[in-house]
Amino acid sequence: MKRYKADGVATVDSMYKVSGETPAKWSLLEKLLLGLTPRQYLAQAVRNPFNWILAIIFAVGFPIIAGRFLFGLSWVTHSSCDYPWGLFLGFGLFGMVPLSSSGFQLGTAVEVFGRHDLEPIERLGLLNGLLGYFFAVCYLMVDLGQPWRLPYPMVVAWGPAAVLFLVAWHVATYLSVQIAEVSVAFFEWIGFPMGKRGVRRITLGLTVAGIILSTLHQGALGALFTYAPGKVHPLWYSASFQWLHFFVSSIPGGLCMVIVVSTIARSTMTWRCDDRFRENLDKLTITLAKGASMGLATYLTIKLISIAHDNKWEYLGSGWGAWYAVEMVGGVILPLVLFAYSIRNKKVGVIRFSALLTVVGVVLNRMNTAMFTFNWKLPEREIPHWREVVICITLYAVYITVYRFILCRLPILYGWKTADEAVPAAEPAKGYVGAAHPAPAAVGTYHSSVEEPITSASLSTMPE
Amino acid sequence: MYAARNRLLWGFIMLALGMAPANSWAKAMPDSISLDALAQLYEKVKFNHAKHIRLVRDCAECHHHTTGTLTADANCVRCHKNSGATAVVACRGCHSAQTFSAEALREKGKNIYHMDKLSLKGAYHQNCMGCHAKAGGPTGCQECHALKKAGEAFYNTGRFAPKHAAMNGKHGGE
Amino acid sequence: MKRRDFLKSCILCGAAGALGVSGKAWGAGSFEGYPEGMGVLVDLTRCVGCRTCEAACNKEQKLPEPDVPFTDQSVFEEKRRPTERAYTVVNRFEPKREEGPVYRKVQCNHCNEPACLTSCFVNAYTKTKEGAVVYNPKVCVGCRNCMVACPFNVPGYSYSSAFNPVVKKCIFCYDTRLKFGRPPACVEACPQEVLTFGHRKDLLKIAHERIRETPDRYVDHVYGEKEVGGTSWLYLSGVQFDRVGFDTTLGNEPIISNVKEFLGTVPMVLSIWPALFTGFHLLSNRKQDHSDHGDSHSDQEDPKP
Repeated sequence: MKRYKADGVATVDSMYKVSGETPAKWSLLEKLLLGLTPRQYLAQAVRNPFNWILAIIFAVGFPIIAGRFLFGLSWVTHSSCDYPWGLFLGFGLFGMVPLSSSGFQLGTAVEVFGRHDLEPIERLGLLNGLLGYFFAVCYLMVDLGQPWRLPYPMVVAWGPAAVLFLVAWHVATYLSVQIAEVSVAFFEWIGFPMGKRGVRRITLGLTVAGIILSTLHQGALGALFTYAPGKVHPLWYSASFQWLHFFVSSIPGGLCMVIVVSTIARSTMTWRCDDRFRENLDKLTITLAKGASMGLATYLTIKLISIAHDNKWEYLGSGWGAWYAVEMVGGVILPLVLFAYSIRNKKVGVIRFSALLTVVGVVLNRMNTAMFTFNWKLPEREIPHWREVVICITLYAVYITVYRFILCRLPILYGWKTADEAVPAAEPAKGYVGAAHPAPAAVGTYHSSVEEPITSASLSTMPE
Repeated sequence: MYAARNRLLWGFIMLALGMAPANSWAKAMPDSISLDALAQLYEKVKFNHAKHIRLVRDCAECHHHTTGTLTADANCVRCHKNSGATAVVACRGCHSAQTFSAEALREKGKNIYHMDKLSLKGAYHQNCMGCHAKAGGPTGCQECHALKKAGEAFYNTGRFAPKHAAMNGKHGGE
Repeated sequence: MKRRDFLKSCILCGAAGALGVSGKAWGAGSFEGYPEGMGVLVDLTRCVGCRTCEAACNKEQKLPEPDVPFTDQSVFEEKRRPTERAYTVVNRFEPKREEGPVYRKVQCNHCNEPACLTSCFVNAYTKTKEGAVVYNPKVCVGCRNCMVACPFNVPGYSYSSAFNPVVKKCIFCYDTRLKFGRPPACVEACPQEVLTFGHRKDLLKIAHERIRETPDRYVDHVYGEKEVGGTSWLYLSGVQFDRVGFDTTLGNEPIISNVKEFLGTVPMVLSIWPALFTGFHLLSNRKQDHSDHGDSHSDQEDPKP
C-alpha cells in the first residue's frame, strides 16, 4: 500500500473521494478494496510475503479444522479423561481472554474516568477486546464436544450454580457490549450516522456494563480452577484468591497487548495511521505502560500474599518452583523493572519489549494453570497432538487476518473525516499533540457525532 | 416262650438304636453335593463333601454352629455359646441367594446382629476360598466350575474373545 | 434529568443489594444424602481381582467389546481408570509383597454433593433420591468441566464420537435396576461379595461393625464416609488407603465449598460496580451539568496553548 500511496492513490478516510471537483461517495466495494481497483488490490496482496505465510497456514489448517468436525475430537487431540482440556482452551480461551481486557480498560479510562488523552488508542483497545473475545469463542467452538449446543445454557437448560454458567452468559453479553462499542467506528465507515448517534447515547451504560461483566468473567475463568483444588499445582492455585489472580493479571495483559498491537500496526500499516495516531503513539504507549506496571506490581503482591496465606513457601524449592520462578521473573518482575526504567527515561522501545514479555507471561500463566501444572500429581503429562497445534496456529492466523482486515478499513487507527474535510478544523485541544495544528488534521473521531460540516463561519467562532 | 424272645429281640433292637451315637447324622451326610446357584454362567460344582470331612474334621469350620459343634469365631461365640444344631445344615438354609433385593434388605435391617450376613454365593466363595488359599486348594474360578457358553460370552473369553485389539489409547480415550 | 434518575436508581440498587445479601452463604449446612439413599460398601480385603464386576457392568450397560477378555489378568500390569468403554475397572496394588496383592475397584462414587453436578452449566447431572448421580446426555454441550471437577477423575468422554460425544460414567445401574430397588449388576455378580448393597446409613454401621469385630483386618477408616462431603460408595481396606490408589488429601468439604467464595462475590459486584463506577465518572467530570454526552468532552479539557 505504501507504493500506491506514494503513487497518489487516495486512501479511504472519509465518506467522499477527494479526486474530482464534485465529491463523490466511495462505494462499499471501493471501501472494501481500500480504494484500489480489484487488480491493484490483488497485486498488493500477492506482493506481501506475510500473505504467503498465511496462505500456507490456511492450506494446511483448514482441512484439519474440517477433519476435527468430521472425525471428532479424538482425531485432533490427545485429550483424555484425565486431561480433558488441551490447547484450544488453555491457549485459545484462557490465553486470549486476559489479553482482550483492553476493551473494558480503555473504555473505562476514557468514558468513566475521563482520560480523553487516551482517545487515539481507545478504538484500537476496543477492537482488540472484541476480536480477542470473538476468537476465544471460536476456539471454544472447536473444542466443545457438541458446539451446536452452545446456546443450551442460555435457553435450554440452566445450571446457575456453575461458574461456567456465569462465564457463558457474561461472555455472550459482553460480546454484545463490545460489538456495540466498536459499531461506532463501523457506522462511521458504512455511513449510518443514526446508528452511531444511538450507540453514543448509551456509551456510559455500555462501559459500566462492560466493567461489571469483565471483572466477573475474568475472575470466573480463574474460579473454574477452584473446582479442581488438588489438580492444579499449589503455586498456581489459591483457594481464596484464584479469581483475583486472573482478574488482576488481565489488566497488564490487555494494556500490553494494545501496546504490542499498536507497535505492529504502526510499523506494518503506516499508510493507514493518521498523524494524530502516529504522533501520539509514543506518549500513549508510556501512559499504557504506567497502567500496566501498576497492574503488574499489584499482581506480584497478591501472588506473594497467596503463597503466604496458605504457607506454600516450601514449594518454591521444587522443580515446579523453578518453573514458577521463570514465569514470575520473566513475565512479571523483569517487565516491572524494565517498565520502571523506560517510563522514567521515556525509552519507548524498551517499553514495547517489556510489553511483549508481559503478554507472553500472562499467556504462560494461563497455560501453566490450565495445562502444564494441571494434574501435577499424576505421573504423566499430556503432550498436545500435532493437529491440535496446527489448528491453534490456523485460528490465530485467521484472527490476525481479520484484525488486519478491520484495521485497514474501519476508522480505528485514523480518524474518519467529516464531509468538509478540506476545511482545516481548529479542534479544541484535547491534551494530545496535533489538536491545534491548522493543517487538515483528522477531525472526526466519534466526537463529531453531529455530522454537520464545519463551515468557515462556525470555524471562526470556535475557541482556539 | 416266643413272647419272651420277641420281647428280648425288640429290647435289643431298641437298645441298639438308642445306643447309636448322635453323630450317626454323619451317615446321612451327602458325600457329594452339586452347587448350581450360578447355573447360567457356570457348570455345576462337584463338591466332594466326604473329602472335606476327612481333611477338615471340625464341622464348625464351615458350618458355624449349625451341626451342633461350637464355632471358633470369638464374635459369634459371644451369643452362640449354647446354640446347638439347626434344622437345616446346608449353607442355603441361612444364606439366601438374593440378599440385596428390597425385601431382603428390609429383613436384614430388622436383625441388627446379622445385618452383615453374606449371600449364598459370597458365603460359598469366602468360606471355601479363604481356606483353600491357606491350605492349597483350588482358587481359580474354573478350577471349581467350568464356564458354560453363556459364561464365555459374559467374560468375552474362549470363543467370544475379542479378535483384534480395538483402537484405543492413541487418539483420545484410554 | 435522565442521568440523575439513572444514578439514583443505581445507588438505590446498590444499597439494596448490599443490605439484602446474606452473609452466611458458605458453611450453611451440609447434605448428608437423601434419607432413603442407597450405597455400596466395597471391602477391599475380600477382592481377588477376578474382574467379574467389570464383565457384569459391560453387559448391563451394553458397553463395547473389551480389548482383552475379562478373565485376562495381564491388564493389572498397568493402572487403569474408568473410560467411555469401561465404567468400572479393577486395579492391582502390591503394598506389602509378603501379604499378596490388593485389588481395588474404581467407579463413580456417587457423592452426596457431587462436584460434577455443581460444575455443570446445563444441569445435566442429577442426584436421585436413591443416591445415584445420573447424567442427561441430551443437554450436554461437551465442555468437560465435570471431568476437571471430579476429585476422583471418574467421568469418561466419548472423544471418538464425532457427532454425539457425551460423558460416560457409572450410573449405579439406575435406569435398569436401582429405580426398581435392585442392586447394580456388579454387586450381584461379585463372587466374593466384596460389594455390599444397602442404605448408606446402614452400610456405615456395617462398615464400622466389621472394623470393630476384626480390627486386625482393617484400617480404622471408612473412605467415603466424609471425604468431599461423603460419597455413596464406601471403602474398607486392609492397608493404608493412599497405598491403594486413593487420594487421601481431599478433605471433608464438598468441592462446591471452594467455589462458593467466588460465587458469593458475584452479586456483590453486580450490585456495587454500577454505582461505584458511575460515581467515578461523576467525580471525573468537571462540568456539573451537561445533557449531551457528545458535546461535553469538547468543552471539558482546557485548551492547551
